[in-house]
Amino acid sequence: MGPLIPNGLIPLEWNYVIAILIGMAFGYILEASGFSSSRKLAGVFYGYDFVVLKVFFTSAVVAVIGIFYMDYLNLVDITQLYVHPTYLWAAIIGGMVMGVGFLAGGFCPGTSLCAVAIGKIDGIVFTIGLMIGIFVFAELFDVLEPLFVGSNLGNITLVDSLGISPYWIIFIFTIIALVSFVISDIIRKKVKKVFY
Amino acid sequence: MSKKYKSKKIIVARQYQILALILVVLAGGLVLLPKQTRSEGVSPLVFVKQAVSSERYISTDQLADRIINQDPTLLLVDTRSKEEYDDFTLPNAINIPLEKFFDEEFNGFLNQDVYDVVLYSNDNFYANEVWMLGNRLDYKNLYVLSGGLNEWFNTIIDPQKPKETDSQKEFELYSFRKAAGMYFGVGVPKTEAKAKIKAEKKPAKKVITVKKKKKRVPEGGC
Repeated sequence: MGPLIPNGLIPLEWNYVIAILIGMAFGYILEASGFSSSRKLAGVFYGYDFVVLKVFFTSAVVAVIGIFYMDYLNLVDITQLYVHPTYLWAAIIGGMVMGVGFLAGGFCPGTSLCAVAIGKIDGIVFTIGLMIGIFVFAELFDVLEPLFVGSNLGNITLVDSLGISPYWIIFIFTIIALVSFVISDIIRKKVKKVFY
Repeated sequence: MSKKYKSKKIIVARQYQILALILVVLAGGLVLLPKQTRSEGVSPLVFVKQAVSSERYISTDQLADRIINQDPTLLLVDTRSKEEYDDFTLPNAINIPLEKFFDEEFNGFLNQDVYDVVLYSNDNFYANEVWMLGNRLDYKNLYVLSGGLNEWFNTIIDPQKPKETDSQKEFELYSFRKAAGMYFGVGVPKTEAKAKIKAEKKPAKKVITVKKKKKRVPEGGC
């Protein structure tokens, strides 16, 4: 049956319309959950607020369990889903840069736009910095290109690289998520509370 | 910490415990569920859609046109028995009887995407069965000759002359079929040939002598 658009159940023209609607809903929920506050987001690094970790980890676990149950019930053909290619070193270095930016600025790109939407000055400054970063990256692309396109491992997943059943990976991933929630709660209780 | 606050905290914690338990049960369920074996080839829905569609049929006229034009992408497959194939078949056709469909030696002819494979039998029956099997295995470019060899005989080898009241299109189709039949070695019937020769006799041209008028000497003038 699914995915809906590749199998022609929804016309291709609706692709962007649906994307915009999902994007708006995502932005609304981010803002409503307090993700437009840089203090809340940075709290995960300082140990006084782990909402970011819990929300994103939970969403990943719920999504992966849901997709595999839908695949099991033949509602979605999992082989038709897009798997983003792995550029190993680009992802490692890019992830580190992103982490430093997240910690220093208090936003990730999506949440910074949420902050701009509600008129937060730090969000606006962060977004201007984001644009400058994009500009610098584009100008230096010739130099960075070997790193950017190198070490391409293809459209692989953990199932391919570890050779374990996807169901076991999901189970282990769920356990890791729950353990990390418990540990983060313990850390949060030990760290001095910050009110914002 | 008041007693009320303490009890509330426990309830919240219990809610999270239940949610965590649901996640573990669901994830564990994926591990414990009996594994399904997925069938190869196209999905049943796609298969049924293609089976009821008439897109797989190619008419005898289309096929004759492609054979005459020596289309290099055409591959004719006779799905009847060896005896019937030896008795009569279309030019350059290969014989893959229905019961030998799964033989390794014929797999290369059917499972490819270079040629347009046209399957035929005396009627649609065997050809359709081969098409069904091939389509289920997701083989590309399989077609069925509409009406099979019977239709081929009725249209190309021995076409019916259209009535006088039929449209111009019918007459054009008839003459195409006649010409195609001649290509495949069917002679023009004698009576018609004679009539044609007779029709070709033209009456002798009458010679009309025209006397030229003598030029008159201009009279007078200025």
